[in-house]
Amino acid sequence: MKRIMIDAQKCDGCKNCSVACMQAHRKTEGTIYDLDLTDPANESRNSILKDADGNYKPLFCRHCDDPECVKSCMSGALLKDPESGHVFYDEKRCGSCFMCVMNCPFGVLKPDRVEKRRVIKCDFCVNAGGEPSCVAACPKKAIQVEEVEG
Amino acid sequence: MNQCYGCSTCKSADKPLQEYIAGLSMETSHHRVEGQSTKCAFGLQGVCCRLCANGPCRITPEAPRGICGANADTIVVRNLLRAVASGSGCYIHVVENTALNVRNAARNKEEIKGMGALNRLASLFGIQEEDVHKRAEAVADAVLRDLYKPEYEKMELTKALAYEPRYQKWEELGILPGGAKSEVFHGVVKCSTNLNSDPVNMLLDCLKLGISTGIYGLVLTNLLNDIVLGEPKIRLAPVGLRVIDLDYINIMITGHQHSMFTDLQRRLADEDVKEKAKKAGAKGFKLVGCTCVGQDLQLRGAHYTEVFDGHAGNNYTSEAILATGAIDGVISEFNCTLPGIEPICDELKIKQICIDNVAKKANAQLKEFDFENRKQVTEEIIDEMVEAYQNRRGSVTMNLLADHGNDRTLTGVSEGSLKAFLGGSWQPLIDLIVSGDIKGVAGVVGCSNLTAKGHDVLTVDLVKELIAKDILVLTAGCSSGGIENCGLMTPEAAQLAGPKLRAVCEKLGIPPVLNFGPCLAIGRLEIVATELAEGLKIDLPQLPLVLSAAQWLEEQALADGCYGLALGLPLHLGLPPFITGSKVAVQVLTEDMKKLTGGQVIINGDGKESADILEQIILEKRQGLGI
Amino acid sequence: MKYVIIGAGVAGVEGAKVIRSHDKEGEILMVSADTQIHSRCMLHKFISGERDEKGLDFTEEGFFEQYRIGWKKGVKVQRIDTEKREVYLDTGEAVSYDKLLLACGADSFIPPVGQLREASNVYGLRNLSDAQAIVAEAKKANQVLVIGSGLVGLDAAYGLLERGKQITVVEMANQILPVQLDANGAKAYQEKFEQAGVRFVLGRKASEAQCGEDGRIHKVTLDNGESIPCDMVIVAAGVRPALGCLKDSSIDCGRGVTVDASMKTSAEDVYAAGDITGLSGIWPNAADQGRIAGRSMCGIKDAYTDTYAVKNTINFFGLVTLCVGKIRPEEGDFVQIREDRNQYKRVIEKDGKVEGILLQGDISHAGFWQYLIKNRIDISGIQKDIFAVSYADFYQIGERGKYEWRQEI
Repeated sequence: MKRIMIDAQKCDGCKNCSVACMQAHRKTEGTIYDLDLTDPANESRNSILKDADGNYKPLFCRHCDDPECVKSCMSGALLKDPESGHVFYDEKRCGSCFMCVMNCPFGVLKPDRVEKRRVIKCDFCVNAGGEPSCVAACPKKAIQVEEVEG
Repeated sequence: MNQCYGCSTCKSADKPLQEYIAGLSMETSHHRVEGQSTKCAFGLQGVCCRLCANGPCRITPEAPRGICGANADTIVVRNLLRAVASGSGCYIHVVENTALNVRNAARNKEEIKGMGALNRLASLFGIQEEDVHKRAEAVADAVLRDLYKPEYEKMELTKALAYEPRYQKWEELGILPGGAKSEVFHGVVKCSTNLNSDPVNMLLDCLKLGISTGIYGLVLTNLLNDIVLGEPKIRLAPVGLRVIDLDYINIMITGHQHSMFTDLQRRLADEDVKEKAKKAGAKGFKLVGCTCVGQDLQLRGAHYTEVFDGHAGNNYTSEAILATGAIDGVISEFNCTLPGIEPICDELKIKQICIDNVAKKANAQLKEFDFENRKQVTEEIIDEMVEAYQNRRGSVTMNLLADHGNDRTLTGVSEGSLKAFLGGSWQPLIDLIVSGDIKGVAGVVGCSNLTAKGHDVLTVDLVKELIAKDILVLTAGCSSGGIENCGLMTPEAAQLAGPKLRAVCEKLGIPPVLNFGPCLAIGRLEIVATELAEGLKIDLPQLPLVLSAAQWLEEQALADGCYGLALGLPLHLGLPPFITGSKVAVQVLTEDMKKLTGGQVIINGDGKESADILEQIILEKRQGLGI
Repeated sequence: MKYVIIGAGVAGVEGAKVIRSHDKEGEILMVSADTQIHSRCMLHKFISGERDEKGLDFTEEGFFEQYRIGWKKGVKVQRIDTEKREVYLDTGEAVSYDKLLLACGADSFIPPVGQLREASNVYGLRNLSDAQAIVAEAKKANQVLVIGSGLVGLDAAYGLLERGKQITVVEMANQILPVQLDANGAKAYQEKFEQAGVRFVLGRKASEAQCGEDGRIHKVTLDNGESIPCDMVIVAAGVRPALGCLKDSSIDCGRGVTVDASMKTSAEDVYAAGDITGLSGIWPNAADQGRIAGRSMCGIKDAYTDTYAVKNTINFFGLVTLCVGKIRPEEGDFVQIREDRNQYKRVIEKDGKVEGILLQGDISHAGFWQYLIKNRIDISGIQKDIFAVSYADFYQIGERGKYEWRQEI
């Protein structure tokens, strides 16, 4: 499967990955120039955390081999696609219980900010040809897609 | 594998140049585009603020305000005002130096080459000095007096130079500028940390800076230069890398201050100086035009054909010009002198001399131009160039591109020369516009950049689309350098125009794109526009005239753009000026401005779409005039 | 090989999927009283009318065909003979098995108060059939009494609010959601329910409830003498493992069916998973048990070790809460609280380890807390505000780009 490999040491915390993610998942048409950065409905599926020493730690869904989110999903909304190996989320099936948020051991997931109805979850930009926008936007190449076994 | 530095250079509208750069063994800006292709989205939208130690703060849905409380509108417009003030400062520096040079030349009774320009200004300013030199000195003094006024005292010449209906509009909006230098000061104070937070209030300052920049930095700089250097004369001239002649000691010039070269260009034609060159093994000296000061030399080229080789290219062609190996020295006095030329100069042993310390390059020798010692400095520069020639020729590989460009670019177009060409009156042009043979006029101005689809790509696309729609294109700035090298300023380019414009061009033997020269000449376009409006007895916003700074590059361009908006003209930009993060800024600049000044900003990165939009605006204006 | 699975909840379904993944040929038969696969956690969405029966299905489209699983639905198991390896159904049919998985869940517990157990308008909320009955009853009923304010009781109330019912909730404890939340966290939900029209009677229990001549309860009397009129009663006082079908078998039971770590019962080739084991009442654990039982049934060694189940998420009215671990602080615990307009957070620490976390309002990126708590990770070395701790502090990238938990802090 393809996974976004992370070199945290290269991360500068510019958040370009986050903006690219918002742009890739916005509901309206448009370019990066008119992406509304004040609209809470624009949410990034990735985020940059900092450890106690101030080092940036990019948080990107691993599409785990044995995904805890899928295992905890009580609606069937989260499924690991046997072909691509990626974990996909079906908003229509989701029961908004957020057990997945609690069970992700790495804290990647979060409920949507506006309605607390959806889970904000990486879809590997499957609707944009499966080339993650975050990766394309990283100026440091701290994130790169690689084929990994599994 | 080969010796190329890197094969992923950016596109250029100038295909031979693109190939040439891709084949170079040294790095240029064209090579660096790819590495910088990931742009910070906060920067693009203008919502990154680092005005204080709490920053940088960036606007996100989770953090809609900076730590201080500034929202996206405040942050964006503060950044814009900072850029506009800075850009204005650049042009005001240029006009200040130019006025000082004119005054010094007048006081020293040097040759006054442009009597037309002098008399025009003297008459506008109400100066009635019999003596030519005293008249020139008085004109320069009047300009300097205004520049040095405090911010709370309005400049006096604005009224004399501005079109009356515009002046009234500016007065009504409260944006008549005080002293131009003080306005820059006022602007930078206003957008400093935790001062102004009112986006509309700051946008009005941008307009005010636009007016002082336009009237003083642009219009007056041209005319003051004309006084000492001569007025433009229409002629056909060669352009592109072909202008470089190996047999000469070649000096590439970059910057914006033509008057600083007055003495040098005169001396280079003198026999004793030519003798120095001959002794070193060259036939003489040649100035190779690059950037806007190169455009200025080209514009007035009729006055010194012997020492001026022609215009080789714009800012992003400068590295290629040096890479030919045939340039022995660079004299720079202002932007757009790219830092990227430095390693190339080092590698090819090209002597770099800066004559204005505001533009001191890291490894260049600083020989500040000072009027008192100009003769001494000129001699020193000549000797340095001879030495460079001797040191490098023979040991440096030549890599010419002798076929590049063309020999028949129409140049020397100005408000004066064009009017004279039309028989001393604008009426023939007005008639063609009224009859629809010329649908409208587009000023395609400003810089060249590498990111609006590539080097000059959007500009050239847009120009081709416009002329195909029978819209006459007038150019000024580095955009001219790209357009001329692509052949659109040769009389033969008339074939690319729409049938009506083509017929007009072929009848007159002119290209459909007329080159007014440097970015400063945006001021000349404004004079043309004003005189056309006067002829039609209308205000500027009613004219079927649009502006495009399709590939604007820098802060100066933003100040120019503000002038365009203050004039009430539609202004197209290929890339947004880092404002789209603010809904207020976008609304005011693209919509509300129509009611404020009559102007508007149009942002579009596609040549065809942009041309369609601009044509639509021209058609609406024609409809408004009932023509 | 013939696998029989009793129950079609998550433990049974996950067990079946795992068996199929390891045994491509074997016969798999599921037997259930349920006639529709459904997620019990979403029954309130059916009650409210937001979803139909199909909308509660948590399996993939074409689940039974895809995994080649047989299904006898709408039947109850009456008896199991582990000697003969047969299961007897209420249809009179006998079903033989080689391996048997008991995943028949639990039944609602109706307390022996008055005639609650006999009345025809008293319901538990456990199965889709309960929800269907509640919806049918709600067509006539106006006043609804809910006994118990745990997640099931509030689910019922939440669903019925959408149908415009007058709802009273009686709770023995002095707060709602007493198992999941502290008083402050509970208050936030109580206010939201009250704003929506629900009345709570706290610190009280039902003491009397007699049927009228129609066999229905019309009022319930509390231990303070207050009478609450009602047209229907929903009892949400917990569940008991559904051990009914085991009564004549030799399978060892305690509170639930006794299992070892591999989920095997005391009987040969009989396994159990989910609520019937009484091990844990929450979805992810039941699913896990189902998978482990399934693997064990296929002869693959596996053990149920991630037994941590003191965890919940709650979402009513868009107010979300995550609570893991200890809810009631004890002597010697170090409690830190952070509260504002939009969120309430409380962490309980002891000896440098987090014992409980409660996050209300914003639970973004909070998944790491569970790992921290259940693995008893010492965080005393992290020089940081406790609420700023995140996975970043344990961040490590392992083979194939997987995230791992850094051991040295």
